[in-house]
Formats: sequence, C-alpha cells, structure tokens
Amino acid sequence: MNGIHDLGGMHGLGPIIREENEPVFHAPWEGRAFGLFAATFVFAGYTVDEFRHEIEKMGHAEYLEHSYYEHWLVAFEQVLEKRGFVTAEERAKRMAELEKGVH
Amino acid sequence: MLLTPEIVPGLVAAGASARVAASVAPRFRVGDRVIVRNLNPTTHTRLPRYVRGRFGVIEKDYGVFAFPDTHAHGLGEKPQHCYSVRFTARELWGPAASERDTLLADLFDDYMDPA
Amino acid sequence: MPTHAKEADPALRVKVLESILTEKGLIDPKALDALVDTFEHKIGPRNGARVVAKAWVDPAYRQRLLTDGTAAIKELGYSGLQGEDMVVLENTDEVHNMVVCTLCSCYPWPTLGLPPVWYKSAPYRARVVADPRGVLAEFGVTIPETTEVRVWDTTAELRYLVLPKRPEGTDGLSEEQLAALVTRDSMIGVGVLAAAA
Repeated sequence: MNGIHDLGGMHGLGPIIREENEPVFHAPWEGRAFGLFAATFVFAGYTVDEFRHEIEKMGHAEYLEHSYYEHWLVAFEQVLEKRGFVTAEERAKRMAELEKGVH
Repeated sequence: MLLTPEIVPGLVAAGASARVAASVAPRFRVGDRVIVRNLNPTTHTRLPRYVRGRFGVIEKDYGVFAFPDTHAHGLGEKPQHCYSVRFTARELWGPAASERDTLLADLFDDYMDPA
Repeated sequence: MPTHAKEADPALRVKVLESILTEKGLIDPKALDALVDTFEHKIGPRNGARVVAKAWVDPAYRQRLLTDGTAAIKELGYSGLQGEDMVVLENTDEVHNMVVCTLCSCYPWPTLGLPPVWYKSAPYRARVVADPRGVLAEFGVTIPETTEVRVWDTTAELRYLVLPKRPEGTDGLSEEQLAALVTRDSMIGVGVLAAAA
C-alpha cells in the first residue's frame, strides 16, 4: 500500500538526530515489547509480512509521531485481536484494572 | 508453542529464514535490463514507490523466497526469485543526482518486466 | 484513516498485553527477560567488528565472507534472527556501500544488534536513497566524487553488513586490536575509519 511507511525520497522530515552512547532500550517497556515479538510469533502463527502490514495501516500522523516500539505495539494488538488471542475488550478491562493498581 | 527461556538461545541462533525450498525458474538472469512494474496495491507490498516504472539491471539472483505481497494476507507463499536490482541515481532522481552513484533494491519476479 | 494507538502510556499498553498473555499461559515472562538480556548484553556491533577484523587479516576468510556471508559469519558463531540471509558489501577506493531500509527498519541483528533510533527514523529512511552524499556529510563523512556511492535498500529478507576499509597505519595490530577500531556506523556505511594515530 502507498502508506506513510514508504518514505524513500520524501523531503521535509527534518534532520537526522543521533544520540551518543545510545542504550539498546530507552525504557524497560521497550525491552518487554521487543521480547513480545518472538514470544507471540511462536504461538500466534502470524508472519513478519502481516506484522509489517499492520504497522503500514497506521494513520500517517500517528506513524510519524510514535516511536518504533509503539508501532510494534499497534501490530501486536491488531494481530492478537484478529487471531482471537486478546480482544479489545480484554485490553480495555485490564487497562482499567492496571490503572487502579489491581494487578 | 510456548516460548520458554530454555528455547530462547536456540530460536535466536536459528531465526526463521523466508527462503523457500522450492524449485522455481527465475524470470531474469544477471545482467538483464528490467522495468519495474507500476503497481499500486492497497495491500502489503515490498515494492517502494520510488523504483516503480524505473529501469534497472539485475545484479544478483538471491534465490527463492516467500512473496510478501501474498504471504502477508494468508494467500500462500507464492515462492519466487528475489534479485538485487541496480538503478542509477539519475534514473531514480533525475539529472541533479550524481552521475556515478547507484542504488540497489531487492525485488521479486512479480515486481518486474523485461525491458 | 484508522487510528489504533490510544493516548495510553505505551508502558501500560505493553503491560496489558504481557499480563493477559501470561495469565492465559501463552507467554512465559522469563523468556522475555532472556530475550532482553540477549540483545542488551550478548548481541551487538562487537560481533560485526570481529567479523570485519578477521576479514582484514585472513584473505581466505574475506573471500568466504564476500561469497557466502551467512556461512562465513556463522563460522564465528553469529547467526539467526534477522541475519538468516546475509550479504557482505566491501568498501573500496572505487565503491562506498551504505545500507538503509526505507520501508521499515530491517537491520542485521546477529552482527550489529538492534538498530539505533536514527536508523529507524523517518529522516534517514527518506533522505539516504535520494541524497546519500548529503546524509554522509551530516555524519561527517566525505566520499570523493571519483568513488561510486552505492545505497542498498533492504526491501526484502536479505540483510547487509558493510565491510569497511581497513584504516591505514594498522599493519602491526592484532585481530583483537583491529576489532576494537571498528565502529557500528562503519558497518552500516555511514562512517569511515580514521587512520590509526
């Protein structure tokens, strides 16, 4: 699809920002999100291509404003929902519980 | 399958190659001049917009791989050859680009026609 | 335009998934710990640096590396996820190779680890294909006009490692000392290695 992910040749995206002594993960949640890739891959039976396509379908502004592992999160949520492993309702319920400190 | 810590090192070291052990005839040979198809699917593709409709040359045949455009949508592997295809910077970006510089993209049989 | 990402904190969203999947017995959080530990401590650009140093001192290895990158890299014990099919690109006086993935962020994990944020960022992915010399200048690198700059867009499942030029003045160094000189950026092709002092 002709999505925002297809960036080659675009102008106006600003300078390339580099970070000295960059850590592998910038926060613990990034490491957990990274680990979820292999862990969900082995049971959920999706392909890398399908995973990439979920990211490509993100809204353009949203894609540019969110970080790499946030893109992954979108893909996990969509793929796991499509395959019936975790529904949006389950996520909303758990989110409310976590916000209240239940878990 | 449940991924346990014991399995992690083996999984990381083995990976999951997209190569397919199928005997599929290549549509192109090294040195062939090709034109990239002007495809605009609303579904998944690994064909970037900036090479569509451009002329290139087959640099290397990498062998047979699953085709992402079908594989992403549960439509099968449709195994086919994937090639390194060379474009001049000027072919892609016009006369302002360097005369000497080139770009190589990895493209599948279904993305190209003979030129 | 579908909008999936909620305003919620990503840390919380990850925790939501991890806790539900754990409760259902679909994932083992200890496996996630092991993956994080592996990519934080065991896999990274020092692996690639060892490959490069060996290629500099061992002409037969260099030849194997350029002919079948996957097998030659595996000789040193590096293989697997996102390095299943490796291609090694040799930088010379005639050709300067550099690597990008314009469509996502493909990168050779076994030899370089996980990619830095700039490699995954929109500005790098957008610009390097159309203006490689401008991007190199931003990284402080000038390639002579007489050298061909070759940009490799990782659009399929091959993964690329650049074999940088061996710096001048390093004749007496051991393989280990040479490996210490090799930078991550030189193996992506956005850096070159300075002559030894």
